[in-house]
Amino acid sequence: MSVLNTLAFVVFPYLALTTFVVGHLYRYLTNPYDWNSKSSELLDKEGLKIGITIFHWGIIFALLGHGAGLLIPQRYWDALGINSQAHTLFATYSGFVVGAAALLGLALLIYRRISKDRILATTTLNDFVTLGLLFFVVATGFANVVSGLFDHFDILNTIAPWLRGILTLTPDASLMLKVPLRFKIHILAVLTLLGFSPFSRLVHIWSVPLTYLFRRLIVFRRREVSL
Amino acid sequence: MKIFHNPDLPAIDEYYEPWTYNYEKLISTPQKKHQPSTRPKSLITGQPIRLKWGPNWEDDLAGVSTTGSGDVNFKNLDYQIYLQFKKVFMFYLPRLCEHCLNPACVASCPSGALYKRDEDGIVLVDQERCRGWRYCVSGCPYKKVYFNWQTGRSEKCLFCYPRVEAGLTSLCAETCVGKIRYVGVILYDADKIATAASMKEEHKLYPAQTELFLDPNDPEVVAEAISQGVPQSYVEAAQASPVYKLAAEWGLAFPLHPEFRTLPMVWYVPPLSPLVQFLEESEEAVHNPEAMRIPLTYLANLLTAGDEEPIRLALRRLMALRSYMRSKRLEGEADSGVLEKAGMTEEMAEGMYRLLAIAKYGDRFVIPTVKKEKEFDLYQEQGAAGFGPHGA
Repeated sequence: MSVLNTLAFVVFPYLALTTFVVGHLYRYLTNPYDWNSKSSELLDKEGLKIGITIFHWGIIFALLGHGAGLLIPQRYWDALGINSQAHTLFATYSGFVVGAAALLGLALLIYRRISKDRILATTTLNDFVTLGLLFFVVATGFANVVSGLFDHFDILNTIAPWLRGILTLTPDASLMLKVPLRFKIHILAVLTLLGFSPFSRLVHIWSVPLTYLFRRLIVFRRREVSL
Repeated sequence: MKIFHNPDLPAIDEYYEPWTYNYEKLISTPQKKHQPSTRPKSLITGQPIRLKWGPNWEDDLAGVSTTGSGDVNFKNLDYQIYLQFKKVFMFYLPRLCEHCLNPACVASCPSGALYKRDEDGIVLVDQERCRGWRYCVSGCPYKKVYFNWQTGRSEKCLFCYPRVEAGLTSLCAETCVGKIRYVGVILYDADKIATAASMKEEHKLYPAQTELFLDPNDPEVVAEAISQGVPQSYVEAAQASPVYKLAAEWGLAFPLHPEFRTLPMVWYVPPLSPLVQFLEESEEAVHNPEAMRIPLTYLANLLTAGDEEPIRLALRRLMALRSYMRSKRLEGEADSGVLEKAGMTEEMAEGMYRLLAIAKYGDRFVIPTVKKEKEFDLYQEQGAAGFGPHGA
């Protein structure tokens, strides 16, 4: 059991994260032209509107919430006057809202992808795998939030330090031994998605146009003088 | 809230759904009583479709019953009168990217993939940086940036820049059978662009844009251009520029919809059309652009944001030119009186005649080759440039 636990929560995370980093670099450097999420709005506009908006806002706040809850140790929150109970309570309710938004949005988008002929005809296997994984991740995450309402589990002292251990290269698989299966499934699904994302249309996440806020409106380019 | 979808993006049905035919069937069908036929099928889904609209669907007035009432150029006109069979009119308006001085597509690109080239003003999409945001498509008021649903990127006219760099004109201008396209260099004052584009009254946008254009024969302008590093060959091309003559010197060419405030750089000479009403058999009536089949208001809405005066003058000049040349060739006696009424000189008329009627290739396209020798060490570069996945 312990060997399996180590494989799942030490070896596999590093495999997935390595694929994540190297995969992105490889794709960006070898084929920048392919760095794209192939918008299908031109082919079907109306079906996109609601689903894409609530999904994206939901998933962004879900990510931010995960970052704030799992990466920042509880002692810093304590210093701010937020004890672990308040933290869990806030995380549960806000997680419920953003999780529901993401899940509903994703469901609408999957429905659109399957029901509209034009979209279905331009969907690749890769897109379906991406969507399926994403749906599984969001659904298990949302299920965990809901189950947390009835059956509280102390994430802040188990999963959170485990994750920080992974990221600071001091992994400790024993922290995951007592974690219920439902969280383990969610974590493994997320790691799979991370490992797969460099090869999917999810790379568009890295193209947040932050430079737009600072650049001048009209871009001029002079021919580059090469050496 | 809305950055994840683009509410103003035209959907593909607003262009048309691309289609093809199963041509194979026409050949491979075994002999039957009836001729084989083939139905159109969508290039997106592969399913049979019913055609409702397509490329050039409205050419030669064909679609005017559908699109006529929505034509914004009928502003201040009763379009229903002009859609009557006896009154209806048409002219061609070939459109390409305007390569604007104040390009809205460039300004609206979140990735900064669209850019305007410093040396010749051509507006391009960097295909490796385009992330398919589609804001250029909705941002361009001329709708001349297109989203490629197969590559997930935007594409647009590139003004045949490899040809332009080599001193050749774009292919659309090169192959124009009517020889009515002109391409040349214009020197302009980039510091005044913001002022020109933010003129309060719309009809002042056209004159403001012409004021941006600098007279290439003015020694001061030439000296300043050279001091700023503009190559001598560019200045000489600007001096011989057919475009400067048409747009600035003679006032014959106009920007398309200047009210969009993008300061477009593809300009149009308004068309002459048959006279439809003779009030009196006088010289005046014959030279009256008001009596033309295409209403002046329509052309003004199209080219000067509604100001009829410049259009009237341009049409009068074109008519006067015809009349003058007719008198010179047929009557053997040049009648410069008609020229004076249109504010023209004989020298100007001769220049217009040469450029518009004779339209020699070398006069229509005056394009300098790019001065690469100053920017590159050509000896070092030889054999280093080529096509491939990583560019040149």
